[in-house]
Amino acid sequence: MTAERTTAETGGTSTDDDSRGGASSGFLGDGIDGYRIGLYAILLGLVAFYLTPLEAGLVTSLKTSTGVAETLPFAPPIFGEFAMDSWIQAFDTLGRGLLNSALYTVPATVMSAFIGSIAAYGLTQANWKRRYKAVILALFVAGIFIPYQAVLVPVTRFWSNYAQIEGLLAPLWMLGIDRDYTALVELMVTTTAYGIPICTVLFRSYYKNMSEEMIESARLDGASLRRVYRRIILPLSKPMFAVVLIYQFTQIWNDLLFALVLVQSTSSAAAPSVLILSGLGVSQEGTNFALQMAGALITALPTIAVFLLFTDEFSEGMAT
Amino acid sequence: MTSLELDSVTKVFQDGDDEIVAVDDVSLTIDDGEFLVVVGPSGCGKSTTLRMVAGLESITSGSISLGGEVINDVKAQHRDIAMVFQSYALYPHLTVGGNMSFGLEESTDLSDGEINERVEEAANMMGIGKLLDRKPSDLSGGQRQRVALGRAIVRDPSVFLMDEPLSNLDAKLRSQMRTELQRLQEDLGVTTMYVTHDQTEAMTMGDRIAILDDGKLQQVATPLECYHRPANQFVAGFIGEPPMNFFDVTREDDVLVGEAFEYAISQDIVDELGATSDLVLGVRPEDVKLVGEATDVHDFQMTVDVVEPMGDTNTVHLFYGESGLRADGGNGATETTAESAPIGAGEEGAQNKLIAAISGMQRVQSGDRIAARIPEETIHVFDGDTGKALHNRDFDEEATIQQPLN
Repeated sequence: MTAERTTAETGGTSTDDDSRGGASSGFLGDGIDGYRIGLYAILLGLVAFYLTPLEAGLVTSLKTSTGVAETLPFAPPIFGEFAMDSWIQAFDTLGRGLLNSALYTVPATVMSAFIGSIAAYGLTQANWKRRYKAVILALFVAGIFIPYQAVLVPVTRFWSNYAQIEGLLAPLWMLGIDRDYTALVELMVTTTAYGIPICTVLFRSYYKNMSEEMIESARLDGASLRRVYRRIILPLSKPMFAVVLIYQFTQIWNDLLFALVLVQSTSSAAAPSVLILSGLGVSQEGTNFALQMAGALITALPTIAVFLLFTDEFSEGMAT
Repeated sequence: MTSLELDSVTKVFQDGDDEIVAVDDVSLTIDDGEFLVVVGPSGCGKSTTLRMVAGLESITSGSISLGGEVINDVKAQHRDIAMVFQSYALYPHLTVGGNMSFGLEESTDLSDGEINERVEEAANMMGIGKLLDRKPSDLSGGQRQRVALGRAIVRDPSVFLMDEPLSNLDAKLRSQMRTELQRLQEDLGVTTMYVTHDQTEAMTMGDRIAILDDGKLQQVATPLECYHRPANQFVAGFIGEPPMNFFDVTREDDVLVGEAFEYAISQDIVDELGATSDLVLGVRPEDVKLVGEATDVHDFQMTVDVVEPMGDTNTVHLFYGESGLRADGGNGATETTAESAPIGAGEEGAQNKLIAAISGMQRVQSGDRIAARIPEETIHVFDGDTGKALHNRDFDEEATIQQPLN
C-alpha cells in the first residue's frame, strides 16, 4: 500500500515533468524527449519502490510503541513519539552477536574467495587434461546447486560424530573462551566449504577470458605456476575479488540455517547476530516492531558497509 | 654456441578420435646468431612449431635441442628463450618498467640495481626510455610493440622466438619496425626464429626462410634461392608477388603442349625433365617481356585484359587469343590477384592467362594486342603430380648478388 502511494505521487510528479518537458522541447527543439522523461519516471518509480520498505523500517525503529501503533508505517515519527530506545536496546542485545558473526563471516568469506580463486586458476590456466578438468568443474557446479536443507542433517552429524573439534581447540578454552565457540569454528568451515563452488565458477569465467598469451609469456619469462598466480593472476583478479567478497559476505552474514543447526541456542555465548535477531522483540506481550526494525537495520549495516567499501571494484568486476 | 636444432619434430593433436597432424616431421637447424623466418599460409603449423620450441606445446615425436642439449622435457620457464607474441601479451597491471623487469626478477638472481640498469639500457635501445613509468593501456600500438620487444631483449636469452610480431601494426609502421628489428637482431646476434605469413617479411628479414605447408617443410634456403630456385611448385607460388604463372602442359619431345599454346624447349631442359611428361610450366611475371610483334619462338600473341599501375611497375593481365574468354576471364584474373591467393593465380581455369610485371614506364592499355615473350632461361618446370621442381631458371648466385654493387 505504501509503495503504491509513493509511486502514485511520483507518477504525478512525472506528469508535471512531462508537460514541462514538452514545453521546453518546443522551445529548444532538442535535448529532452518523451523517451527520456518516461525513462526517468520509471527509474524514480523503482527507486521509490525499493526505498519505501527501508524508509518504513527506519522510521518505525525511531518510534515509541504508541507511535508504531497509531501512525502509518512510513510516516515519520512526530514529536512525542520519537525515541532512540529501540536502537539502544537492539544494540545492547545484538552487540555480541555482531562480533560473533564477524568472527566467522570474515574468515569464511576471505577463505572461500581465495580457495575459489586458486581452484579456478587450476581449472583454467594450469596445463592438465581437459577431460579431468571437465569432471572436476562438473563437481563444483553440482556443489552450487545442493540445497542447504539437504545437508542440514549430514552437517550436524558430521560435526557431532565424525569431526569433534572441541578437543582440538583446547588451548582456546584455557584462555577462558567459552566452549560454545566451537560452533563458530564449525560454522566457519561449513560456510567456507559451501561458498567455494560458486566462488570457483565465478573466478573461472573471469580467468577463462584472460589472455592466454599473457600467461604463456609469464611462464616463458621464467615464472613458475605459483609465481604466475601470485604476480599476474592475483593482482588482475581485484575486480572479481570485490564481486565475490561482497556476495559471499552477504550470503554468509545473512545465513540463518547453518547458524540455527550448529549454534542452536539464541542464548549461547557464540550466537551470531542473525540468530539473536530471529528472536528479537518477540514476547508474550506482543511484537515490538520498533525493536525488530532497529535490530534488522543494525544487522544489515555491515553488509552495506562492505558493499560501499568495494563499490569501484565491484562495478568494474560486473562490467567484465 | 646456441644453435637451435629441430629433429623430425612432429605434433599430432587429438580431436576426439581424429588425429590432426599439425607439424609433420620437420627438421631444421638454426645456426648461432642466425635469423630464420618460418613462413607459410595460415594453418600450416608454423605457430605450433614455434610453440613447441618455446615449450608451450608438447612434442609428439622428434626432438628439439638448444646448444646441443635436448630440451624436450625442459619446462617452458627453464628454457633460455624469450618470445614476442602477436598480441604483445603485456602485463596490464604493471608499468613498462615492471613488464620489462618481470622476466629478470623471475629467472635470474640479479640485484634490483642491476635489473634497473639492464631495463633502462634495453628501453633506451628500443626508444622507450621515457615510457618506463606508464601502463601498457596508455601506450600506442607501436609503443606496445616496442615494449614487447624490449621485454624479450632485456632478458638476453639464447633464442628469440617471434610469432607474427608486426601483424598488428599499420603498414607504414610495420615496414619501419621490420628494418629496425632486422638491425637489432644483427646487433645483438641472437639466434632468432620468426614466424610470419607475410612473404615480404620473409624475403626481407631472414638470413634463411623455412617454408611450411600443411605441416610439412617445403624448403629451407636463403630468400633469393627460394625465389629463384624453388624446390617445388608450392614454394614457387608462395614466394613472389604477383605470384608465378603456372600452366599445365604435357611434353611431346621438345615441345611443352599446353591448352592454349605450345612452348619449345632446348635439349638441356629435356634431359632434366627425364621421363615425366605431365608437367607444369612456371614463369615469374617479372620475367615476361612485352614486345610489339611475335618474332621469337617464345613469343606469344596475347591481348591485354587489365593493367594495374603500381608506379614503379605495371602489373599486366593478359589472355591468350583474341577474345571470347574475356568476359569471365577479366573478373577472375583481377580477383585472384587482389585477394592474394598466393598459390599460382593461373592454377585453375586460367590456362590461357598470363600475368606480366613490366616497367612503370612501359605503357600498355586494356585491349592492346601484344606479344608476350617468355625467355627460355627464365622458365621453371615442375612435376605435374608431385609438384617437385625439375628445372629451375638460370640463376648465378654470385652474379645476382654482385650486380647491385656495380
